[in-house]
Amino acid sequence: MAVVLEMKNVEKHFGGVRAIDDFSVTLDQGKIHGLIGPNGAGKTTIFNNITGIYAPNAGKIIFNGQDITGTPPHRVAQLGIGRTFQNIRLFSNLPVLDNVIIASNLDATYNLPQAFFKTAKYREREKYVREKAMNLLEVVGLSDRAGELANSLPYGHQRKLEIARAMALDPKLLLLDEPAAGMNADESAELVSFVQELRERFAITILMIEHHMDVVTNLCDHVTVLNFGKTIATGTPAEVKSNPEVIKAYLGGAD
Amino acid sequence: MFLQQLVTGVSVGGIYALLATGYSLIYSLLDFSNWAHGEVAMIGAYTALVVSSTLGLPFFLAVVVGIAGAALFSYLNERVAYRRIRHNNSPNMFLMIAAMGLSTVYQQAANLIFTGKYQMYDFRLPVSTIQIGNTYLGILDMVSLVITAVILIGLIYLINKTQFGLNVRAIASNSYAARVLGVQVDKSIASVFLLAGGLAGVAGVLYGMKYNVFPTMGNVGLKAFIASVIGGLGSVPGAIVGAVLLGIIETLCTAYINSSLRDFFSFALLIVLLLVKPSGLFGVDVQDKA
Repeated sequence: MAVVLEMKNVEKHFGGVRAIDDFSVTLDQGKIHGLIGPNGAGKTTIFNNITGIYAPNAGKIIFNGQDITGTPPHRVAQLGIGRTFQNIRLFSNLPVLDNVIIASNLDATYNLPQAFFKTAKYREREKYVREKAMNLLEVVGLSDRAGELANSLPYGHQRKLEIARAMALDPKLLLLDEPAAGMNADESAELVSFVQELRERFAITILMIEHHMDVVTNLCDHVTVLNFGKTIATGTPAEVKSNPEVIKAYLGGAD
Repeated sequence: MFLQQLVTGVSVGGIYALLATGYSLIYSLLDFSNWAHGEVAMIGAYTALVVSSTLGLPFFLAVVVGIAGAALFSYLNERVAYRRIRHNNSPNMFLMIAAMGLSTVYQQAANLIFTGKYQMYDFRLPVSTIQIGNTYLGILDMVSLVITAVILIGLIYLINKTQFGLNVRAIASNSYAARVLGVQVDKSIASVFLLAGGLAGVAGVLYGMKYNVFPTMGNVGLKAFIASVIGGLGSVPGAIVGAVLLGIIETLCTAYINSSLRDFFSFALLIVLLLVKPSGLFGVDVQDKA
């Protein structure tokens, strides 16, 4: 099975604090991998290391066979890693459609004069990008709200728009940071089927941070449990749930 | 008479608008007031002056060189000073202080190189007026107005209708997300500084043609600041409306009240607006006007 992402012994310190310590993971093509752990365990720091927000202090990150350790964020996005955020970070005062278009147009090979005078090539490209963005909005069920401002959407729709926006990068790997945060049981269940649909439709690999154990259990093929930056367990959701270390981390007031 | 004053006011406002839009664009991206922006206009005015009078280049070419000079210095401000401060994750206050420092350095440097005297371009548009009915319109005002209008329409189109503009608006909205979605944030910011510098260069030359070229002419940047606060900081259309409004008020004040009270009225307008509608005419962001 093809490996999409491999992190080898990655470390990240902030001052004297080891936010992640000797972290390794291998993500296989088409699988959904869960990252769980108490708050402050270093889960989002791992996302920030993959997407180039931080450069790790040690270790390697290999994406599709290419070393991307310390690669700047815009380049990582262009290579095909899409991401959503724990606290929604939309372009909130821009229309829904524009939110998706921004991420759709990165491989465009036009220059400023072409854009300004809208050459035939540019217009063709513009049409393609628009259609692609509309298709993605269709997938997440927001095509009828394309013209509204992103901040006028209800919370759950904003989360879906973030996913559509990340998908516009044509990612091979999608990083979801607490996609079910703030959702009730019904909404979580809907999210589970939506993510499954995404995986089937786009044959995509997903790494997700999630606290809702029902979402993790229903979606993830494999789980890594972190506590204070250290990996304390790996395995299937069922395996880690019965792991005494994990139970201790969650019940031991590690917060 | 009134119509004449109005045209002059709009024309002066247009020059302010060329500065205010760049000022507002930079504010929208980086959340700081670029106090060196007026000096960038001054550099453009002097560059055109030197190139035309010393090197004897035709005026049109000299203006192009002047615009390029202003754009270059605007870009250098970003590359040498602002970008480093940003990458250090320093507070935005540092950016503003750096801009103040640059402003002083450029003004003093111009004083040393060119002395404080007022200088004129060799090239002059006919001072004459054209008569429509019983109204006399200055040719310089009309030319300035047309040039400004064309440039500003182009700018609005660029910001609202092109991918470059969309990237700029995305960065203004959420630069962190833009970066993670593949937008080359630093490159776009540098392009905006080039663009804003070019616009300031045009403003500098037009201002110089109207009021001569002198080291402290960059203080016109303060007018751009007032204009963009009136319009709503960060908003390009707001900056244009604010600038034209300011130009008209100043001109009418000079014509009908007293020219020495001009700035009094400009600042009074600013204070009243900040009290009544702190976000400005088109703005949304109420905090941190510094």
